[in-house]
Amino acid sequence: MTQTFDQPTVQVQAPLLQLNGITKVLKGQGEPRTILSGVDFTVHAGQSVAILGRSGSGKSTLLSLIGLFDRADEGQYLLHGDDITKLPERRAAALRSAEFGFVFQRFFLLKHLTAAQNVAMALVNGQGWSARRKRRQQVMDALEQVGIAHLAKSKPTRLSGGEQQRVAIARALVRQPRIILADEPTGALDTETGNLVVEVLLNTTRQGCGLVLVTHDHDHARKMGRVLELRDGRFN
Amino acid sequence: MLSGKFRSALVIGGQGIRARKLRTFLSMVSLFLGVLAVVAVQAGAEIAERAMLTDVELQSGKDGTVTGYVPGEKGAPGIVEAMMKGRTDAVAMIGSKAIIGEPGVRPINEGGMPFEYAGRGGDYSGPQVYCDSNGTCTEQKQPEKKPDGQAIEVSMVALTGDIRPFKPFRPVSGSWLEFDTAPSLAPRIVLNEEAAKGLRQYRVPGEMMIEGATHHVSPQITGVVQDGYFQPRIYMRLDELRTWMPAAAETTEVDRMRGGGTNLELYLQPGSDELQQLLKAKLAGVGIPQDQMHFQVVKSKERMESELRIMRLIFLGMALLVLLIGVAGILNVGLATVGERVEEFALRRAVGMSRMLLAGIVLAETLLTGLLTAALAIGAGAAGLQVALMMFGSRFPSLQGTAFPWEAGVAGVIAGLIAGVLGGLIPAIRAARIPIATVMRA
Repeated sequence: MTQTFDQPTVQVQAPLLQLNGITKVLKGQGEPRTILSGVDFTVHAGQSVAILGRSGSGKSTLLSLIGLFDRADEGQYLLHGDDITKLPERRAAALRSAEFGFVFQRFFLLKHLTAAQNVAMALVNGQGWSARRKRRQQVMDALEQVGIAHLAKSKPTRLSGGEQQRVAIARALVRQPRIILADEPTGALDTETGNLVVEVLLNTTRQGCGLVLVTHDHDHARKMGRVLELRDGRFN
Repeated sequence: MLSGKFRSALVIGGQGIRARKLRTFLSMVSLFLGVLAVVAVQAGAEIAERAMLTDVELQSGKDGTVTGYVPGEKGAPGIVEAMMKGRTDAVAMIGSKAIIGEPGVRPINEGGMPFEYAGRGGDYSGPQVYCDSNGTCTEQKQPEKKPDGQAIEVSMVALTGDIRPFKPFRPVSGSWLEFDTAPSLAPRIVLNEEAAKGLRQYRVPGEMMIEGATHHVSPQITGVVQDGYFQPRIYMRLDELRTWMPAAAETTEVDRMRGGGTNLELYLQPGSDELQQLLKAKLAGVGIPQDQMHFQVVKSKERMESELRIMRLIFLGMALLVLLIGVAGILNVGLATVGERVEEFALRRAVGMSRMLLAGIVLAETLLTGLLTAALAIGAGAAGLQVALMMFGSRFPSLQGTAFPWEAGVAGVIAGLIAGVLGGLIPAIRAARIPIATVMRA
């Protein structure tokens, strides 16, 4: 099956991921609240997608469903054409490790570890084991990719916000994922640094990686191949 | 090879411990006391058991040894001597009496009693009547009363071989008897502590008269041992005794009734049934009734264990209580740490770590802490024992040369592991249940 997308230069054979009619209801102490309602969403290799929307529109919830942090109440989730809607937790963890790279608004770097050790965290996760030398090489390659290899031995407290976010991106890239999920990665950065970070993320799509960027920033969204807006749990 | 999961757990657990040294130290402090209590109780019980066992073994023989008592009648001493000669798996002790000191005098401790009671027995000058099993009674002639003099009376034990593999005599000074050299004309003797005390106290002449021997002998004292007896005793080689007392003295019925005469005591290694059967057959052949030959296996440990069990249980209960307090400490710190590391754990799960492994990491950290604490507690226990032995060892001879019992080390490791598991289980479950989405969105 061949599909053509709104980004005319990208043509791919099959979607990396496909969500069909995804619904998520938040069951708290009060009335159940529908966060996502019958969402359809597709990402192909090398494609970048920006998701815009107001706070509480369901952007982050959608990202957490894509990233297998959570499960949808209804709908179907296909990854490389395989139905992973009801995946057991252990396999979900393995897929998170192999397929996804995550970048968050807060960098979530561990203060007691160096930049290199923070990046290596994604390699020491119980999903296989590689020798220390190989691990080090992978970490340095990822740091090189985001342009901060020289800061490998620095602790997060000695890095600027932009540098910290680039360490977080290196952590997301070190396992060479197929899809990067970025949840407002520029939210805590100034404009210039934010642009730099978006550039780094966009670079990954040139190597065939899919990118889903959740953002409030329309300028950054416009740099993506496709822009979607979530409103009241549905795409406009 | 270790699996990736296990290696990851160890690496991350190690990082966690290094990153929170103060917390780790605080949880170790309470746990240390608990593990140390378990180690101390276990070590104390083992040492007490060994000390008691050694005391029992001094008198009864080592656990598992077969002991035999045979009346010294009807040629039995000769048979026993002939069969035991040159053997290392069995030893016969032939008991008699001897007087060391001035000849022809009444010993200071007549009857071979401990010197503490010497001279307190008084004289009994009435008639002595003995009755046999048929009820025929005869009056015995009173032995001639001897003048008091400088002599001591001792129980003399002649050995066919080295008795120490069966009875762990503790050396006090000098050396033990050598059995692989040619017999000496001047018999070499080893004294027990009470006999040594008598010689030291009364300075008697170096002459010895053995009951049943033809001549006085001049013994060579080679050493002093602790043998667990309160009465003065001396030990010598049977072949050296035979130079001066060629034939084994046989016990008469009157001797037996007086509790005197030749005593035959046998010590056989476990599994020497064939020798035992042969001996019994030969003794039965000369007319010793089967019911007068008593063979039994020494069960020192069994006896000790039942005596120590209750005491050990009480102390172990107390130690476990202290350990429980240690577990509460490690649990408290563990829970606080999980609360502090929510983001780290959520992130680790986000990058592909499974719930199980995450729980494993938290457990690995508490287990490593528990093991480290156990190692320190065991080290402290072993060092404490050495210090105690240096300070008090001379007061308790049975503790001399005592090594830190490995059982206490094992108990400490087990206590550390249990404390690690108990203290880490709830934090591990909590860590595994952290919802990634909620934390990463906050």
